[in-house]
Amino acid sequence: MTIELDPLIHVPTRLRIVATLAALPDGDALSFTRLQNILALTPGNLIIQLRKLEEADYICSTKTGNGSTQKTTVAMTSKGRAALGAYTQALRDLLSGLDIDPAFPATTTPSASALPLLAHSCGLERCT
Amino acid sequence: MDPSPGTAGTTQGGFDPGQAAALLDQATQRARRTFTPLTPLLFAFRAVAALVVFGGIWLSVRGQHPYTGHISGWAVAVAVVLVGTNIGWTARAIGHAGTGVSGPAQRKWQAWTGIMVAAWVIGYLITAPLYLDASSHPVWGLYPASAPLLVIGLATAVAAAAFRYRALAGTALGIALTAAVAGFGGPAGSWLIVGIGLCAVYLGIAAFTARAQHRSVVLP
Repeated sequence: MTIELDPLIHVPTRLRIVATLAALPDGDALSFTRLQNILALTPGNLIIQLRKLEEADYICSTKTGNGSTQKTTVAMTSKGRAALGAYTQALRDLLSGLDIDPAFPATTTPSASALPLLAHSCGLERCT
Repeated sequence: MDPSPGTAGTTQGGFDPGQAAALLDQATQRARRTFTPLTPLLFAFRAVAALVVFGGIWLSVRGQHPYTGHISGWAVAVAVVLVGTNIGWTARAIGHAGTGVSGPAQRKWQAWTGIMVAAWVIGYLITAPLYLDASSHPVWGLYPASAPLLVIGLATAVAAAAFRYRALAGTALGIALTAAVAGFGGPAGSWLIVGIGLCAVYLGIAAFTARAQHRSVVLP
């Protein structure tokens, strides 16, 4: 069986973004500035990652005001929540199959030499 | 893997499922802590504060024969300091957690906060004169520890249930139950029972909140 991990989410920065937004109740939005502060990302980097997620309809952004008072808020869409749910389930399936403890990934994951083989067998080649 | 800030696109370096699961848990738990206004530490502080405040009042009234209900100045001073600290800490925590957050759930939380403040203020504003006029209102005069808390606990439990805040409804019911039990402890003893009971209730919600915040999203 091949388990696919969503390549849009399976990137450290984007994974942190969706995990943070998913922690908000459904329908609530977070300001761009607060999200940037929480993740300690540069504005440029955050914009790039948000754009990719927005193109996939995983998040939606809203701009209010104009000029110096313009404020951007970002929220997770239902499609995004479903995608993160599927991604989490895929991770769970992979870890249960590989018997990896996510609490200690550095010590229990396969060695670096085994990673390409692991990625191939799990269908991860698309996101590496 | 390098999950440090500003490392977009580190998948090229190898981002295996174990690392992804650890990062997902780490980011989720951090977000939960960030967006949760009433933290386990705040609940733990309330537990200690309740024990110290009500325990202090009990110490100051326990030797009264007959019971007059007069509370010593030092016990009042301790109560004012700890209640003031609690109000300040809570206001700051709510403000910090809600910064930059907007939407229906946030508005619902703000409405709930207003109801809570009103319930506690009105509850004690109403009962304070009744307590001072104890001769004509023996229940309020004899049981100032339990009577207001019973009313406030039940009222906020109903409100929390209506808002579907299950944990807070449980906390409010715990407060009401503590107040009801304290009613059987006698005029002086009710202060101590309320102190111990509230301490237990707040420690319980602190443990529940801490567990909820640290629950893994990947592990079942």
